[in-house]
Amino acid sequence: MISIPRPLIYIGGVLASLLLIPPFAIGWIRETQSTGRPVHIFWDMDMQPKFKAQAPSDLFADTRAARPIVPGTVAVGEADLDPHWSEGVTANGDWAISLPAQFKDVDKNALLARGQERFNIYCAVCHGYAGYGDGMVNRRAQALMDNADGPPNDTSWVPAKSLHDPTVRPQPIGQIYYTVKHGVRTMAGYGSQVPVEDRWAIAAYVKALQLSQDASLQDVPPDRRAGLKKP
Amino acid sequence: MSRFLFPRWSNLLLPTLLMVGAVVPLYAVLFVAYGFSPKTLEVGYQPNQPIPFSHELHAGQLGMDCRYCHNTVERSGFAAVPPTQTCMNCHTGIRPSSPKLEALRESATTGNPVTWIKVHKLGDYAYFDHSAHVNRGVGCVTCHGRIDRMEVVYRYAPLSMGWCLDCHRDPINNLRPPSEMTNMTFDMQSLSREERESLKSQFLIKPSEDCSTCHR
Ligand code: HEC
Ligand code: HEC
Ligand code: HEC
Ligand code: HEC
Ligand code: HEC
Ligand code: HEC
Repeated sequence: MISIPRPLIYIGGVLASLLLIPPFAIGWIRETQSTGRPVHIFWDMDMQPKFKAQAPSDLFADTRAARPIVPGTVAVGEADLDPHWSEGVTANGDWAISLPAQFKDVDKNALLARGQERFNIYCAVCHGYAGYGDGMVNRRAQALMDNADGPPNDTSWVPAKSLHDPTVRPQPIGQIYYTVKHGVRTMAGYGSQVPVEDRWAIAAYVKALQLSQDASLQDVPPDRRAGLKKP
Repeated sequence: MSRFLFPRWSNLLLPTLLMVGAVVPLYAVLFVAYGFSPKTLEVGYQPNQPIPFSHELHAGQLGMDCRYCHNTVERSGFAAVPPTQTCMNCHTGIRPSSPKLEALRESATTGNPVTWIKVHKLGDYAYFDHSAHVNRGVGCVTCHGRIDRMEVVYRYAPLSMGWCLDCHRDPINNLRPPSEMTNMTFDMQSLSREERESLKSQFLIKPSEDCSTCHR
């Protein structure tokens, strides 16, 4: 039996166990989140003197690299000259009761499908998928209003109106469009989030939704009536 | 005259050295491969945001669609982080004076943007395009993980070139109907191989591997 001096064994053991630290550290780093900036070993051309979308810039006091539109100016091609298309009112100032002429050749089923998808994204959070005003945000806000110690943090919430409310149901499509674009009373406008084609699609879908909840047998095509079940 | 004699145990030095010589390079290679990989250095980055905004609450509990806020994602390469006005759609009424919304109020009164810190960031020489992916059936969850369960967003995927190319070479397992793009819980197993193949041919999906697709 060869006897190796104790100190050597200890040193060897310590070195070997030090080698175990990096694998554990790597495993730890991989499995956890950290607020530290990612380490870049080679910077290459990671940071170039240019701006990608929404990047900050020191040149301007508001730190935006993308400059907001100067008030009172209109970009080329963005002038709203057609009140029906852009505001939902006819030339003599009444609410439009039809889709604008731009939709003449558009497949109406596709338009409604698009409207349904957009409604579910932008409106259903408050108004609910069927439009009865029972969306999750509305329920949550109502719960805050019913808080035993009074609404927290100055919460004040007007319930999102049911779209089948007797005051909403008769509204012409142009008025719905106008509400989507500019909002109404406490409801914010969605003009900046939703492009104009989609606003019309939503308005058309809202009219269809209202009809769907207030239809009589006469509204169903005769050949489909047989398939309907009595509630 | 006493001569220095190597002790007997020194005979073990040579095999030990050989072993160390074999193990250390392997160790070094593995250390660099795993330790310096983007999966270690980039994944899990979770900066402190100026507002404790929670996707778990808004996208998870309230069920808001990603596109309510990131509304440019289908139309442009960039998935816009929402402007203050989008938050104010609700927060003019809901907890407007909450201390957590301090930075939002300041932004609303001064007109300066909220200084969100970017979590996912490619090098400036690489150009990613969201609309090209989400409209062809690659869902948010594939690249960003279960955002609807994240209290604070962190980087889920390495976003390295190898990661992009892995999928571009064989996208079939990551395809879903584009209508499900924002669905975080869509069951990818529910699609059969044939359905995926038909999605692939329907949208003529043939992701490019040319350098100029992503580098300009
Ligand atoms: C943040 C919650 C919220 C969202 C999202 C929302 N609304 Fe509203 N909506 C409201 C509230 C609240 C009211 C009631 C306003 C009032 O009476 O002060 C309302 C009222 C309405 C009305 C009735 C207007 C009237 O004349 O009485 C219509 C129509 C309407 N919303 C349509 C929409 C459409 C379409 C969308 C999707 C683009 C939408 N809303 C998204 C909260 C919301
Ligand atoms: C209520 C608005 C809102 C909704 C809904 C929302 N987000 Fe966000 N998202 C934000 C804001 C604000 C930020 C910036 C702050 C942050 O990073 O947490 C953000 C950041 C992100 C980021 C990180 C961006 C970066 O800096 O790299 C990703 C990825 C993301 N969101 C994905 C999603 C996905 C996927 C969904 C849908 C499940 C979603 N978001 C829904 C508002 C929203
Ligand atoms: C569609 C409505 C809606 C939008 C848009 C929205 N929120 Fe909220 N937010 C809510 C609701 C509802 C709550 C929950 C309030 C509660 O029950 O405590 C909430 C809660 C919060 C809280 C926690 C407040 C507290 O004191 O607990 C923060 C922070 C917050 N939101 C930030 C944001 C930011 C930042 C944005 C914009 C990117 C945003 N929200 C957009 C509806 C919204
Ligand atoms: C194929 C992968 C992939 C998919 C799918 C994807 N993202 Fe991204 N996302 C990225 C990458 C890569 C970046 C970083 C882009 C950059 O830095 O230029 C990013 C960045 C972002 C950002 C930060 C802003 C930006 O554009 O840089 C947000 C917000 C975001 N994604 C939201 C979403 C949402 C919402 C969806 C689903 C509708 C989605 N992403 C789908 C890969 C993806
Ligand atoms: C999960 C799969 C997946 C990942 C990950 C992925 N891609 Fe893609 N990418 C696709 C698919 C699918 C397409 C659509 C190809 C088509 O339409 O033929 C695409 C298309 C693109 C396009 C547009 C190509 C064109 O012809 O317009 C670009 C640019 C792109 N990807 C860049 C990236 C970058 C950069 C990354 C990494 C940060 C990435 N992709 C990661 C699946 C992916
Ligand atoms: C699908 C998109 C895509 C394609 C195709 C692509 N790249 Fe990349 N490339 C990337 C991304 C993403 C990165 C990493 C960006 C980062 O790390 O932030 C990258 C990084 C790089 C880097 C820098 C590596 C480093 O770590 O500094 C080089 C060099 C490079 N690519 C060259 C090429 C060449 C040459 C080709 C053509 C054969 C090519 N790329 C094709 C997406 C792509």
